[in-house]
Amino acid sequence: MATSVLRAEAIAKSYRRHVVLRDVTFAVPAGTLVGVVGENGAGKSTLLKILAGELAPSGGHVVRDGALGYCPQEVILNDALTVRQHLDYFRAAYQLHNLRRAEEVMALLRFERYADARVETLSGGTKQKLNLTLAVMHDPRVLLLDEPYQGFDWETYLRFWELADDLRARGCAVIVISHLFFDQKRFDQLYHLADGVVTATTAA
Amino acid sequence: MGSVTPAPAGASQTLATTSDPSRDRHESRLRTATRYALIELARNRMAFGLLVVFVPLWYGLLALLVTTAPVAFQLNATGAFLQVNGRDITVLTAGYNAITLIVGFLIYSATRRGSRFDRRLTLAGYPQLTLVCAKLIALVIASAAIALYADLVMLAFWRPESFVVVWLGFFFAALAYGTLGLFLGVLVTSELAGFFVIIMVSLMDTFLQNPVANPVANKPILRVFPSYGSMQIGVAGGFTSTVPGVATLIALAWVVGFALAGLSVFWWRTRPRGQLRG
Repeated sequence: MATSVLRAEAIAKSYRRHVVLRDVTFAVPAGTLVGVVGENGAGKSTLLKILAGELAPSGGHVVRDGALGYCPQEVILNDALTVRQHLDYFRAAYQLHNLRRAEEVMALLRFERYADARVETLSGGTKQKLNLTLAVMHDPRVLLLDEPYQGFDWETYLRFWELADDLRARGCAVIVISHLFFDQKRFDQLYHLADGVVTATTAA
Repeated sequence: MGSVTPAPAGASQTLATTSDPSRDRHESRLRTATRYALIELARNRMAFGLLVVFVPLWYGLLALLVTTAPVAFQLNATGAFLQVNGRDITVLTAGYNAITLIVGFLIYSATRRGSRFDRRLTLAGYPQLTLVCAKLIALVIASAAIALYADLVMLAFWRPESFVVVWLGFFFAALAYGTLGLFLGVLVTSELAGFFVIIMVSLMDTFLQNPVANPVANKPILRVFPSYGSMQIGVAGGFTSTVPGVATLIALAWVVGFALAGLSVFWWRTRPRGQLRG
């Protein structure tokens, strides 16, 4: 199996006396699609924020190799800017020379026609598509997705999986977090998060 | 117990944290961030509406309703009292009142709305320092433009001795309340609380310094109010066409103080948590 590009080592997180994560340990090799499932309040988003570097853990380490893409559960965009301006802003953030990959993803998710629309005028589903595009436009080596298809219609949901398969084929380690997976067979590895620890439930 | 977390996201995070040899790249990112910060400010329809409607209306109402009887205003530069037309100084204070409210509101709402987006940008590799500089540049440009607009509209109601010095006073007031808005925007958790603080501070600050509204407007306590320095500049420019040096320094101190407080909190909130291992 390929070497791990993301390793969580004994991650713990507490808010005062409230323990959210106790001992989360797992590794994700390049070119794999991994799902983390858990009930509401199990600490899934907390775990993802720690993996992304948005939140500091109370204990443990995250070891990551290569560029990270992070798509938070909530759509985090700027209402005053257009879709194209968002891509330009993140192009500068990622130091990309062009937007070729972003345009490919937009075409796959079918929202190129909104390129010049201001975000405040977009539907929830289109905002979510942009939210996702911003996370993958730099061809990350590790991609963290928190409930990425919320608000997608069925067709877009299927296109999302096309994108996930494409990313995997490019050697990206894709970690999807959700409270519910309809298509468990799509994953190479599935983890269940409960009581602050993860357990492997399915192996490819 | 460990505490190390991953580095911020982004294809070139490692590059960005070690060294970025390209000055051009830094300038290009600064231009990009400044452009979008300005676009965001310009698209605040509420603030734009307030500028178009509230500013002339406020000047007009006060010009109409307030007496022209002379009042005394103590100029800090000389310590002497100027005898000024009550209506004129009220129109001038109306300008301060409008500017401080609108710029405070404008920057406060932009900072609040953009805070999570800024955090996402820094996670994606945008240098914090560049974002901070861009916000300051946008704030300075917006303050200069709004001060100019308020100065121009004021000409319809009163012609000051020096248009430029009054603009300078307005500019400093706008900067002080813009940086206050920035500070509150990154600090307070309740949106309403921030608005309330800006309105109350502006109201007390500009109202108490107007000798028509407050006959004891020469008390030393007023010197610790945020718009004291800029008001001194405005009155000096409005009635004498001089620029009081000490007042300019006081005005500048408020701007620097609020800016440092706000940017420190911004820095803290958008910082990457930890460092890359492996």
